[in-house]
Amino acid sequence: MPKIELQQDELFKYSGRSFGADELEEALTIAKAEIDDPVDEDGLIKIELNDTNRPDLWSTAGLGRALRLYHGTGGSATYGFFSRPDSPVAVGDRRIVVDAELAERRPYIAAFAISGPPIAEVLLDDLIQTQEKLCWNYGRKRKAIAMGVYREDKIQYPVRYRAVDPDSTTFVPLGLDNELSLRQIIEQHPKGREFGGIVAALDKFPFLSDDSGAVLSFPPVINSADVGAVQAGDTRLFIEMTGTDLKPLLLACSIVACDLADAGYTIHPVQVEYPYDTPFGRTIVSPLYFQKPVGVELAYAERLLGVALNEDEAVQRLGKMGVRAEAASGLITAYPPEYRNDFLHPVDVVEDLMIGYGMNSFPSEPPRDFTVGRLTEAEIFSREVKTLLVGMGYQEMIFNYLGSRRDFIDNMYPQEQRTAAAAACVRIANPMSENFEFVRPSIIPQLLGAESVSAHAVYPHYIFEVGKVALRDADDNYGSRTVTALGAVVADAEAGFNLVSSQAAALFFYLGLEYDPSVVEDPRFMAGRVAALLVKGERVGILGELHPQVLENWGVTVPCAVIELDLDHVRRVNGSD
Amino acid sequence: MRTDEDIKSLHPLEVTVLRRYDASDVLSAAVLQGDLGLNVGQSNQALSWLAARDSLQEHNRRIITRYELTELGRDYAEHGTPEERVQDAAREHGPLPLPRIAELTGLPNKDVGSAFGKLSKLGVLGMDGEKQVSYAAADGASAAQADIDMVRALLRRAASAPQGLLEENELGDAERRLIGEISKKRGSSGAAFRVVESEIVEYTLTEQGMALRTAVEAAGLSGEEVGALTPAMLREGSWKGKNFRSYSIQVPPSRLLIGRRNPYCSYLDQVKDKLVSLGFEEFDGPLVETEFWNSDALFMPQFHSARDIHDVYYVADPTHAQEIREPFLSRVAATHENGWDTGSSGWDYSFDRDFTRRLILRSQGTVMSAKTLHQAKVPGKYFGILRCFRYDQVDATHLSDFYQTEGIVLGEDVNLRTLMGMLEMFAVELAGATDVKCVPGYFPFTEPSVEIHIKHPELGWFELGGAGIFRPEVTEPMGVSVPVLAWGLGIDRMALMHLGLNDLRELFSPNIENVRLRTGKQAG
Repeated sequence: MPKIELQQDELFKYSGRSFGADELEEALTIAKAEIDDPVDEDGLIKIELNDTNRPDLWSTAGLGRALRLYHGTGGSATYGFFSRPDSPVAVGDRRIVVDAELAERRPYIAAFAISGPPIAEVLLDDLIQTQEKLCWNYGRKRKAIAMGVYREDKIQYPVRYRAVDPDSTTFVPLGLDNELSLRQIIEQHPKGREFGGIVAALDKFPFLSDDSGAVLSFPPVINSADVGAVQAGDTRLFIEMTGTDLKPLLLACSIVACDLADAGYTIHPVQVEYPYDTPFGRTIVSPLYFQKPVGVELAYAERLLGVALNEDEAVQRLGKMGVRAEAASGLITAYPPEYRNDFLHPVDVVEDLMIGYGMNSFPSEPPRDFTVGRLTEAEIFSREVKTLLVGMGYQEMIFNYLGSRRDFIDNMYPQEQRTAAAAACVRIANPMSENFEFVRPSIIPQLLGAESVSAHAVYPHYIFEVGKVALRDADDNYGSRTVTALGAVVADAEAGFNLVSSQAAALFFYLGLEYDPSVVEDPRFMAGRVAALLVKGERVGILGELHPQVLENWGVTVPCAVIELDLDHVRRVNGSD
Repeated sequence: MRTDEDIKSLHPLEVTVLRRYDASDVLSAAVLQGDLGLNVGQSNQALSWLAARDSLQEHNRRIITRYELTELGRDYAEHGTPEERVQDAAREHGPLPLPRIAELTGLPNKDVGSAFGKLSKLGVLGMDGEKQVSYAAADGASAAQADIDMVRALLRRAASAPQGLLEENELGDAERRLIGEISKKRGSSGAAFRVVESEIVEYTLTEQGMALRTAVEAAGLSGEEVGALTPAMLREGSWKGKNFRSYSIQVPPSRLLIGRRNPYCSYLDQVKDKLVSLGFEEFDGPLVETEFWNSDALFMPQFHSARDIHDVYYVADPTHAQEIREPFLSRVAATHENGWDTGSSGWDYSFDRDFTRRLILRSQGTVMSAKTLHQAKVPGKYFGILRCFRYDQVDATHLSDFYQTEGIVLGEDVNLRTLMGMLEMFAVELAGATDVKCVPGYFPFTEPSVEIHIKHPELGWFELGGAGIFRPEVTEPMGVSVPVLAWGLGIDRMALMHLGLNDLRELFSPNIENVRLRTGKQAG
């Protein structure tokens, strides 16, 4: 979720009013925004925006606009510079000509220019932040959207968007004073190393230059040091965005245009000419209003919100959210604002109604439906088992499910069996650290982990856990099974096979189950002091005295006897007759 | 003085002693043994306990000497000393050679030799030219005989005395001289007696002691009070008429290691029980999941940054599920691409049917809400407390795996108002909230969405959880056409408070002593 840092005064300027600290906190809820860091001595405030589908709120102007419209503290948000797909506005000579070779590489570009008073430092900072947030969070780290800002004074239209040879094309990138090839840029320039991966596999790289051949940029990586070096004080800018998906690209373009219009700049649309088809034809003038109206049955909104709504008031409330709407015969038609494209479904308009009315308009009421509550069978059975273990004097433990190879495999098995043991575990392909690389296949290792750090605790130790383990299972759709397991360890000078054997007998007796111990070989245990536990001939667990080598691996110096049961399996075989 | 308290803690031995003696009496172990029939250990314990209570004060302390009969001494007492036996043999069977005397007496040659030497010096025995020993009733004979008789008497007296002890101050001068000749200070080999020196301490009752004595009498304690009630007493009825000693109930009891639930687990159980009591049915599922159920079924677009929130762990092998169940896969894919039949425009991209089978570790409990939908009852309420995994650096506020509490409510008539009503119910029932506030929220799978903030009596305002109405793009592919409330609660913060902890890692502590000592706050 994006966080933005802005000048509180600037925000209040766009809001048309100021807010006290508590007022602001409350006011921001309509934008699903929260104060992350309160305003500091430089007037900077940090705000977290929770709605990832509302990139229009990730800027000072955008957030200020939402507050202004909601509180009615300024003009409406109408923008005359938008084209419609079927009615483009005049662009003069502001054109971009797209090369056919981009169709399969980075096909789309949208742009506009602005003119107005000299650009202040604070606006430039804000524009750079908007660029970062839009391209990082909404533009998937520039993959879907990359934005460039240029000095329009230096541009000769038409601008040319081409695919070029990365090795023979050279220019001076921003931040350097020597020419590099595009290939060198992605290998050497910091921005190249960060974003070069997006284009590295292409045979030709996207490239933006003007009619005179002056280089604008190498999208989505880096601007040129000349046309692409914008400074405070500039009065005319050219702003373009390239990307892979046309609608998000156009939306981002609209957002930045509306922000700059709100900042007092005149927006000059740009025409893009494609040699291939796009969802909006071969010629697109941006900023483009492409969103479609969404119809919402008033009854549908009433059903979800739980209150009766009045058509006219609903329209007025949507207006507070910046949504123009009409109502007739129980149908509301909502026109998304130019800077929003989050109305996928009528339900999205319902949420704007909710916020427009305010939460206090919806008095809460308890759910009326009667339903029967119940725990899962596994939970009920687990509780029975836990009760019996506690009755035998055990302390219940609870552990994390992730652990290391050392914990789950190396400490438990001799060298020659470790490969097989690891293959039976669910392993993480992208672990954060080797300490959390495996999902546990058994509870015993973690009980021994507890023993290894608890030598100071008065003995005897009777500890257990009932919890989940994951085991590889080639027959399963997911290749693994999650199992509810019991693991219990007695650590004591007197701990031994006979003790846990008696405990298992008591456990099975009180669970109403017959079981048979059977001879088994398991290197984790001392030979001849380990038994597989069979219920109806199926192996459901194991008990015995742990091998001294295992104890030594864990640094445990007290004999340990253990019981482990697959409780799901126990339940399954028991229920099978 | 806290004599009332003190007499409860008196041992019967102490009571017996206090009742028997007065301020003018001088007490010692020997006195107690003589008067009360106590053994050495009992008498010493009684004195030391009473002294420790300041009820006795030292009156006098002296060393006494006693002679303890050795094994050899017991043999002499029975069979006679070597001198006695050699003299008798010579008198009755003499003259005899020494080896013959050894044969007759059964004594070693060495002992016969030294006895002969001693007796011949006194003139009791003589030896002729043929080395024949004969009894010579010389002048000293009667005196020697008297000594022999006296030694014999001492030996016999000692043999019948308690522990074979003779008090030095009870012996005459001649006896002292003679016993000294056959005693050794250390060790017992070769001597009939061992010299034992011991300290005798005498006490008298203090004022405190007298006060205790009065209290004991007033309380009617006899010292005959019984400690343990035994099965034998019950069988035989001998407990009747006996007085049972009162115990000192303030003595700190010894520690008991008991079997016990883990307080965090108990807390989770309480939450589960509470939700069950509110009509919720529990659901559960595997730790390993697919991208399909973890996110796609929740209408989170495969490309969208909303998935950044859930940076997931990928399973190494196998990497993909064999299949995703139909018709859900096709419906969800269509919903992402163009909205399918849900009335949505969809996300307008090409759904990746390979990526959707990618196996991951469950990153959000909502996955089980999604999986439950197609088999859910209407009306129906469901919940789960589910272990989830996040790609997070582990610290006090982040764990790599942790529990999420999530659920859904299906019903013809559920709506935003019942959603908030339910959240308020959770706030009061689960958190004891005193105030509740809902604000608009954002979750990729619900619309509208709200966050619930509560005022907790101890933690103050905080976000208890998030909720909303599942988007039709989530419910309709699962065949559900009624509104579905979806909710998630952050209970770990309350769990920490309940357990008096401030580090999430502590919830899963492997430290046995910490877990043993940890207690949750009790309800009520």
